[in-house]
Amino acid sequence: MRIKLERRITLTRLDWFRLTVLSIIIAFIILSIIIAQAGKNPLAGFKEIFSYAFGTRYGLLLTFYRGILLIFTTLAFILPRRAGIWNIGAPGQLYFGALAMLGVALAFPNLPSIVLIPLMLIAAALAGGILGGIAGFLKGWWDVNEIVVTLMLNNIAYWLVMYFIMEGGPFADPFGTPDSATVPALAKAPLIFNVPFTIFLAIGLGIFLYFLLTKTKIGYKIRTLGQNPASARYAGMSALKLSLVVMIIGGAIAGLAGYHEFAGVPGVYKITRKFAERGDLAYYGIICGLIAAQSPLAAIPAALFISGMTVGGTALQRRLGLGYGLDLLFLGVLMLTIIAFEFFKRHKVLWIIKGD
Amino acid sequence: MWYFVVSCLDVTTLLLFASIGELLNQRSGVLNVGIEGLMLASVSLSFITTKLTGSFLLGFMVGMATGSVLGFLHGFLSITLKVDQVVSGLGIWIFALGFTTYIAAPYAGPLGMGTLGGRIFGISPFFFIGIAVVFVVWAILFKTNLGLKIRSVGEDPLVAEVSGIKVERLRYLCVIIGGLLGGLSGAYLALSYSTIWAFNPTMGRGWIALALVFLSMWKPWILLGGSLLFGTVWQLALSPELIPLLPTLPLYFYRMLPFAVTIVVMILISMERFRRKWGLAKPAALGLPYIKE
Amino acid sequence: MNRRTKEVYELLDLPRKIRNDVSRGRNGKGRRMQKGPLEGIKRGDTVLEVRGITKSFPGVVANDNIDFEIKAGEIHAILGENGAGKTTLMNIIYGLLKLDGGEIYVRGKKANFKSPLDAIDQGIGMVHQHRRLIPAHTVLENIILGHPETKRIIDMKTPEVVVKKLCEKYGFKLDLNARVWQLSAAERQMAEIVKALYRGAKLLILDEPTSVLTPIETEKLMKSLKVMAKDELAIIPFITHKLPVVLEVSDRVTVLRRGKVVARLMTKDATMRSLARSMVGRDVAFKVKKLKVKTGSQILKVENLSALSDKGVLALRGISFSVREGEIFGIAGISGNGQHELAEALMGLRKAEGGKVTFEDKDITNSSILKRWKTDIAYIPSERVEVGTVADFSLVDNVALNFYFEPEFCRWGILDYKKIRKHTEKAISEFGVVCPNADCHAKNLSGGNLQKLILARVFSRMPRLLIANLPTHGLDVGAIEFVCNELQQLKKGKAGIVFISEDLDEVLTMSDRIAPIYEGKFVDIIPAEEANREDIGAMMAGVHLKR
Repeated sequence: MRIKLERRITLTRLDWFRLTVLSIIIAFIILSIIIAQAGKNPLAGFKEIFSYAFGTRYGLLLTFYRGILLIFTTLAFILPRRAGIWNIGAPGQLYFGALAMLGVALAFPNLPSIVLIPLMLIAAALAGGILGGIAGFLKGWWDVNEIVVTLMLNNIAYWLVMYFIMEGGPFADPFGTPDSATVPALAKAPLIFNVPFTIFLAIGLGIFLYFLLTKTKIGYKIRTLGQNPASARYAGMSALKLSLVVMIIGGAIAGLAGYHEFAGVPGVYKITRKFAERGDLAYYGIICGLIAAQSPLAAIPAALFISGMTVGGTALQRRLGLGYGLDLLFLGVLMLTIIAFEFFKRHKVLWIIKGD
Repeated sequence: MWYFVVSCLDVTTLLLFASIGELLNQRSGVLNVGIEGLMLASVSLSFITTKLTGSFLLGFMVGMATGSVLGFLHGFLSITLKVDQVVSGLGIWIFALGFTTYIAAPYAGPLGMGTLGGRIFGISPFFFIGIAVVFVVWAILFKTNLGLKIRSVGEDPLVAEVSGIKVERLRYLCVIIGGLLGGLSGAYLALSYSTIWAFNPTMGRGWIALALVFLSMWKPWILLGGSLLFGTVWQLALSPELIPLLPTLPLYFYRMLPFAVTIVVMILISMERFRRKWGLAKPAALGLPYIKE
Repeated sequence: MNRRTKEVYELLDLPRKIRNDVSRGRNGKGRRMQKGPLEGIKRGDTVLEVRGITKSFPGVVANDNIDFEIKAGEIHAILGENGAGKTTLMNIIYGLLKLDGGEIYVRGKKANFKSPLDAIDQGIGMVHQHRRLIPAHTVLENIILGHPETKRIIDMKTPEVVVKKLCEKYGFKLDLNARVWQLSAAERQMAEIVKALYRGAKLLILDEPTSVLTPIETEKLMKSLKVMAKDELAIIPFITHKLPVVLEVSDRVTVLRRGKVVARLMTKDATMRSLARSMVGRDVAFKVKKLKVKTGSQILKVENLSALSDKGVLALRGISFSVREGEIFGIAGISGNGQHELAEALMGLRKAEGGKVTFEDKDITNSSILKRWKTDIAYIPSERVEVGTVADFSLVDNVALNFYFEPEFCRWGILDYKKIRKHTEKAISEFGVVCPNADCHAKNLSGGNLQKLILARVFSRMPRLLIANLPTHGLDVGAIEFVCNELQQLKKGKAGIVFISEDLDEVLTMSDRIAPIYEGKFVDIIPAEEANREDIGAMMAGVHLKR
């Protein structure tokens, strides 16, 4: 019996789905090994994860909170990716957006919500868009490697936030805690069944991006640039304009996530000292983007699913006494299995029985 | 003042090991953007090993081994499975992010065992080892047959294959050794540079190392110079009072300095004047998967 | 050191130390030599024999029961059109492809090549059409690359001596320390030949050796090949069109058509006519009718246009010409003389360093590419896969490449896909593009069909000025006829066409005016009636003739 590999010519949606599910299962298997190694029963672990994340009321809420963040950052990754650009700058754009929205809130704490919140959203989007736009411009004009640039900007944004929220900084907590000042009451996101309205924003953006990419002229140009930059140029498309557009929009979306994370999630409502941990979550938008095969619509269920997995993971930490960061470890393993499975999306495995 | 210089050299050493490893990778045509992840993983594992076993040597070895294993993984994903090299590198980084947080959380705190290697006139011996490594890499790449083969693989693997060179094997070799050097950098960070475990010990320096490789135009001696430059900039960011003429801004703004400088330098080399020279120095097959007929 | 290299060394008059090593039968490390099958070969011995070679690809039998043999000291040419099976046969002999049926015998012993390395070990060397050298390295580095003799620590001096002698012997003028990207096409070919010889090749396979050479460089190559043949090397040139070359340099000719051997001749018994007939199966007549159309007003005026090549060197040095509506302006030249840069500069894909381009009385020298499309200028790129189409896009999306900006297909920023689809289907049927439906991906189309798609798309824009850059490149005869006829038809629509081709006969048949280009300048601009083949050919090589 031999194994033969054959290049695939077409990949049906079903095949793709099957392979993705398979990769998630393999990640689960690896996770089981880790759980077992810590002396606990893997099956119990999985039951725990799913039941907590999607079964309990609290867990489900947490799933949504994190899921909304993931939707935003996944979309922020997907749009530039379709144009062939890697936006690794979601955390930085998120920080910028958070600073901007907090600034607006602290400056006008007594405006009615109906005015204040949209203002904050616009500020967050603008700030994130500017940061993204810097990388987009550099890429479009001088073809500077956007991976390095966005990462550098992430670090710069991190220190900027530190400046703003540490003692002596403009947003420092007047009560002396190491966090920022609290978000004024009117600036907090209104809740619907305890879920911040940002969920509609996120889902709406997903639908909007889908529509943009498939039906509009600019979406067509973005796709062409991503598939074949030489053809795009030949057809008269401007790489500079397109790079700017996708990075500004992507950055704006990540900026909006800044609003959600720090003014939307109940129980937070300020930029905490450990904001970097939340910011790093933004990186996982990349995994989601890959799972969703760069489709904005698929990003929504993918993000919610992944979010559920990690929320369940944190529950696992507590209930079964496993280490901190289990959810992140799982995401890491998942990333690797998804990547490895790219191979199977391009090659079919054939089992050949001897004698045929 | 001497203390300042020594600290600069410390950071230089850190950057140097990580970037010289990546230079070797890229010369063979493999782009590994996950250096930061590689370093993170090796920092955490060497720290934990030393803490648990009390042996510096063991921790050091484990750190290098971690680097090699992750390098091999990256190689497996991008050479054999022909996954896009950027995706693979990012995957390693994201994996390391999660892995490190999970593994090392219970071990936060100081090592409490002094530093590895001691000091020669205050300078860590690793600095000199680093320079030696640069020399060795330079000599191999430009003076030996092996180096010629490596460079050819990075320029045009098809031609190399037809000339009798085993492309995949060479790339694996480079990726493993590159990973080893990256792991060395992480072990150095954990056991000699700063023996306290805290969240995000690398602080983005792995990415600066990546940028360094581009900026050095893949020439080892320029890389050394670049590491020295960025090591100094990094240290200056921590002690900005040493920079003359700068307005006194809050400390946090200075921490941004190394990253801003990186961006500026990357812009400079992308401008028309340097673009051509840089483009010619670039291994032509960098980042492209090698597909055999 | 194996005996083949030893023979190479012995042919050349080498310094004592190396000769001693060689005669003692040891290499630099003192190891004993191995034997290769091609040493001690004498003139007249059969070097290579293939019997019954068969190779199929899905849907096509590329090689059908081919027999062939070549003796030492002989130049045996293999002739055939594109698609006749030459490349497949060549790759099989060189070990790049596995044969489905048949056998290869090297000097009487059966050979099984699993990779080019096996072939190289057996003394077979190949010089490819698209040079297989590493541009960033020096010539010498390329030559010694991968050679089993190269020592661990690179010693350039010994190989340099050997290589210099090889070059002298065969009349190759090469600067060994130049970087390959600085070399001309002819020099690169020389470097590749030397590389194969240095590796001990006794049998040289040359893939289209003269396609990118000027007539003078071709002469030089012929001379070198003859010297090599005298030295008992065996040479197989694979050739498509240059029949005169075949007649001049080869001893025997084998003609392939559709995968089969259709003729085997001693060259002295062959004529151009008989060879061409065997190749094509009928009397060769380029079946394109040049339409006579009354030319109208001037639509394009180019004055002193200059542009740089990708390497930053001036490739276009002040070109001036004009094109009227209803005429085909043909540019004849060997690739690399600036035609590509000219095409791109006219379309805006390349910056004009100097000069002026005027279209319908408007200065477009620095207009954007999009603007040019919008003002009814169109471009057919030479790279149909890399630039002209997007492999993973459907045919509909590919057609949209040239229509997405048209108001009738896009309103308020939203594309009207229904209209685009209808347009695509119409274009596909009019041009006979073979595909299941308009949704199939471009990557599933053959080269000829892809070109038809591009033509369908570009022609349906009804441009006023069309720049066609190598539109027939790599196509089979039927497709070439189709393309050329369609271009002729376009003249009726009052379009002006700039036609660039590497095939001199094509340019002669198609154009109303012909401009041979050499080193970035037009040698002359000649009306078709006054042009003849020899003169244009000479001008393409830089000879200025008085008319």
